[in-house]
Amino acid sequence: MKILILILQLLLFITLAPFLSGLITKIKNYLRMRKGQSVLQPYYNLAKLFSKSEVVSETASWIFKVTPFVVFSSALAASLLIPLFIFANSLYQMGDFLALIFIFTLGRFFLALSALDTGGSFGGMGSSREMFISSLVEPVICLIVFSLFLQFGSTNILAFSGLHAISVSSIVAAAALFFVAIAETSRVPVDNQETHLELTMVHEAMLLEYSGRSLAFLEMASYIKQMIWFFLIAQIIFPISLFGFFSLAQAGLWLLWYLTRIFIIAIAVALVEVTVAKMRLFRVADFLGFAFVLGVVAAVCAILGV
Amino acid sequence: MQGIVLIGILVSTYLMVIAKRMPALIRSFAWQSFFLFLETLVIARQECQLGLYLVAGLLLVIKVSLIPYLLHRIINKTKVSQDLGLFINPQMSLLCALCFTCLAWIFSVRLDVFGNQMQVSIFAIAFFMVLVGLFLMISRMTALAQIVGLLVMENGLFLLASTVSGGMPFFVEIAIFFDVFVSVIIMGLFVYRINKLFTHIDVNKLTRLKG
Amino acid sequence: MTNILPKQIFLFDPLSLFFLAVILIVSLPSAVYSFGYLKEYSSRKIILAWFLLFAFVLSMALVVSVGNALVFLVAWEIMSLVSYFLVVFDTTHEKSIKAGMIYIVMTHIGTAFLIAAFMILHNYAHSFDFTAIKNASFMIPQGTKNIIFLLFLVGFGTKAGIVPLHIWLPYAHPQAPSHISSIMSGVMIKTAIYGIIRFVIFILGVNSSWWGILILILAVITCLVGIIYALMERDIKRLLAYSSVENIGIILLGVGLAMYFYSKNMPFLAVFSLIAGLYHLVNHAIFKGLLFLCAGSVYKATGVRDIEKLGGLIKKMPQTAVYFLIGAMAISALPPLNGFVSEWLVLQAFFLGAFHAAGGAKLFLGICAGMLALTSGLAAACFVKAFGITFLAKSRSNYAVNAKEVSLSMKLGMLILSLLTIAFGLAATSIIKLLTRVAGLSTGIDISNMKFSLNNFILKPQAASNIYLSTPLLTLVLILLALAGFVIYMSFGREKTRIYKTWDCGYYKLDSRNEYSATAFTKPLRIAFSFFLLPYRKTQKIRETFYHVRSFTYETHTTKVFKKYIYDPLIALVFKSAKSMRRIQPGSIHLYLGYIFVTLLLLLIFMQKF
Repeated sequence: MKILILILQLLLFITLAPFLSGLITKIKNYLRMRKGQSVLQPYYNLAKLFSKSEVVSETASWIFKVTPFVVFSSALAASLLIPLFIFANSLYQMGDFLALIFIFTLGRFFLALSALDTGGSFGGMGSSREMFISSLVEPVICLIVFSLFLQFGSTNILAFSGLHAISVSSIVAAAALFFVAIAETSRVPVDNQETHLELTMVHEAMLLEYSGRSLAFLEMASYIKQMIWFFLIAQIIFPISLFGFFSLAQAGLWLLWYLTRIFIIAIAVALVEVTVAKMRLFRVADFLGFAFVLGVVAAVCAILGV
Repeated sequence: MQGIVLIGILVSTYLMVIAKRMPALIRSFAWQSFFLFLETLVIARQECQLGLYLVAGLLLVIKVSLIPYLLHRIINKTKVSQDLGLFINPQMSLLCALCFTCLAWIFSVRLDVFGNQMQVSIFAIAFFMVLVGLFLMISRMTALAQIVGLLVMENGLFLLASTVSGGMPFFVEIAIFFDVFVSVIIMGLFVYRINKLFTHIDVNKLTRLKG
Repeated sequence: MTNILPKQIFLFDPLSLFFLAVILIVSLPSAVYSFGYLKEYSSRKIILAWFLLFAFVLSMALVVSVGNALVFLVAWEIMSLVSYFLVVFDTTHEKSIKAGMIYIVMTHIGTAFLIAAFMILHNYAHSFDFTAIKNASFMIPQGTKNIIFLLFLVGFGTKAGIVPLHIWLPYAHPQAPSHISSIMSGVMIKTAIYGIIRFVIFILGVNSSWWGILILILAVITCLVGIIYALMERDIKRLLAYSSVENIGIILLGVGLAMYFYSKNMPFLAVFSLIAGLYHLVNHAIFKGLLFLCAGSVYKATGVRDIEKLGGLIKKMPQTAVYFLIGAMAISALPPLNGFVSEWLVLQAFFLGAFHAAGGAKLFLGICAGMLALTSGLAAACFVKAFGITFLAKSRSNYAVNAKEVSLSMKLGMLILSLLTIAFGLAATSIIKLLTRVAGLSTGIDISNMKFSLNNFILKPQAASNIYLSTPLLTLVLILLALAGFVIYMSFGREKTRIYKTWDCGYYKLDSRNEYSATAFTKPLRIAFSFFLLPYRKTQKIRETFYHVRSFTYETHTTKVFKKYIYDPLIALVFKSAKSMRRIQPGSIHLYLGYIFVTLLLLLIFMQKF
């Protein structure tokens, strides 16, 4: 019974993930004084991709074919670690925040390999840049998890998933996590998801050779990752009690608040994307260095008990 | 009687030290060996050891006659310059030899193991011969001087052994004689070869091989 | 000196047995592998190789199981000498001889420090037996203990490869035959860790906290230096050697933490950190052994070690590619393999320790944990490069085009280690139960109440807080979700997949020269770390006329910082002092005889004093 509820919640989470991406694009377009595509456009894109046939490069090997499944399953496994709507139903026995990070690394590893697999320059470039950015992001995440640990006493995601006081440490950690989320979800100023120029791509370059259903899986996986990151930021600065409820109305209100927080973060991301220009790759090291400093500040605040 | 022989050994050793040319050195060595032969006879009579008589005879044959003859032959055959090549001039060498004599004397007095005065003197002279042999090897440039120095050291050790312990075992003595004889022959051959290759037997020139 | 000859030489306690198990786990598959690897040598050389291998494994087993310091030193020396012969085994390459020279000099410098430490210990204990020294260690004053600790650290650090004593590793490990490299990198450098645990923690007893902090700082530096140099390498075996340096750093992080917590009287955390360090030790032995065997297979099949000449080997050597992928995944700490579990444990040790430690130490431990995370990310980047450039895409040269899959015995060796990699990841709880006993003995802490797992599948570091990790569950979930994805994929009907060329932006004559190269792959990191790598470039243009450039050569190098600033000046100093001492040897016989003469005279004159 519990597993059934878990699977249902997982499906609900997955269905809402593309909507988030569509929402961000819509907000960006409004800020650019355009009408832009509809909010449901990601769903239409996925449907289109599922109906198309694939073109596979002749230099590709089995790694190219296996990667979409690995990335998809790693994103879903990571989402099982966070409480999806009802508190007791995350698979917390499987791992904690650190395990989440390593599961993301699994997906990224295979994606980088498949990008090299096709033997083109763009894939190699995207792979190289992605590994550069991700390796610099790791110490930042470690320090954020560290400051959360000092504050809440555990790296288990459920530890900060209840109602807790918002301290200075939480705010700074959330700010650092915001920077990390921008880097991990390939948003401006680290990477531009809307670019068509291969030489400016990081994440898109790794997906360049994919088409059809494989591409749909990879897009889906990136939407889910995005949703997970935004949830984590939201949980730290807008805590919500995820314990049981007593009436349907209460449950409905609560669900609304759950989703609204994530959309607030999405609006913030959209604002950042529109106002800031994309940085040169080597400046990303400074960007992430600043995030590292924020992480250290968060840790110091947690030590001081602030 | 014994005193005269010992003085003879001493004087011939001094003669060796001040020798400037090869024949002089070899002749002094022959005289030293002769006096050593006489000394051995005296000791043999004192200790009443028949073996020592034989050893004395060997000394006469080999060290007094054969070896100087061999060395003279080497010099004539190689037609090398008969100059010994001195690092330290004869006067200074004599001074050093006198110092060595004093040193050896003080050393053997300090040792305090001997019964009578004669034994102390013989020990001192024997030790002095060893030091002079080493000194000859250091302060003369040619290979021949090294050979002679070695032989003098061997003489000194022989005298030392005869004094302190009444001679070494018989077979050891025979073996040593044989070794000395053979080594002189070999060294002579080497000197001949060295001269043929380098047209001189100046050992000091080996420093040119320094890396 | 009455107790030189020991009554009982061997000491089989859990620590020795653990290390013996590690030795066997790596040596047996390597021995199986060497059947196929040595096939093309002359039969005399094969017999020599087998004899040396046997002697090597035996000497290492002796090192970890003796209980007497003198026998330990003898076994240590035998191990160093036999491994030297193995390093210079391929005497046709003059690089082997140079590598052997550097190795033997460094290892003997380390052994000299060890001998000094043992002499000091003998002075207090009047015996070479371990139990006697342990009992006498209470009497040793703190200052002497500090000196002994530093001597042991330098002595064992030379063998383990702690920065800056690591320079022999990148020379020696690539030149040795591949099965020997795997044993050297997998096991021999771990015997140094055994030495540190046995002598510093077990025998000497840690009671100052700066020991643990010093080891932590050295370990963090070792990790970062190791992985940054590994990223810049294009020789596959040297890349693996630098990566071994990095992993020794991670193991030392666990050991250093254990020492720090022990000195601060936090027994639970000390045992936990030591378990994390030991777990990473055995994991690294397995997956580094596997990676070296795979690198050896690649070298045997293609004849080159330079990955920029390879590529596309996944189609020519499919099984080797799978084993290398498993090894690369394990070393990049990807779930659910063994590397992930041990790195997770080390990070948890940092976090838990920081929670219970005092103020300043909290931040220090946090930043060390951040540096560990950085090296983990860089290691993933390094092995994406290593696997991707070597095996994927098109062949970059003829060496790779003519590659063939290797023989059965080599595949068998690699298969055994791959299975062990997966098994050590899934069976984490059982391994930790075994390691708890080892750690308990080494630190002398009572472990009867310590439980590190909930049941047979879930790891739970501490009873109070609720942190869990379950690799079997994770594997199950990943496989199920991947299958679900596959089912969804297939449910949309079997469409035909068209095979076509890679996207080439409209140019039609793209070939393997358009692929990304290894140097290019890590260029962003080379620029990010340029303050340490000090890269420089050399270019040369040859022109026929001003407008017509006939050739343009471009070379980029990274400065070998340790060689340039530490070792070269030191060696120059040694040579200078030797040259000045040579003046007493002018080559004149007379002078030498004069030395003897003067000594004799002096002895005579001053005879009374003697």
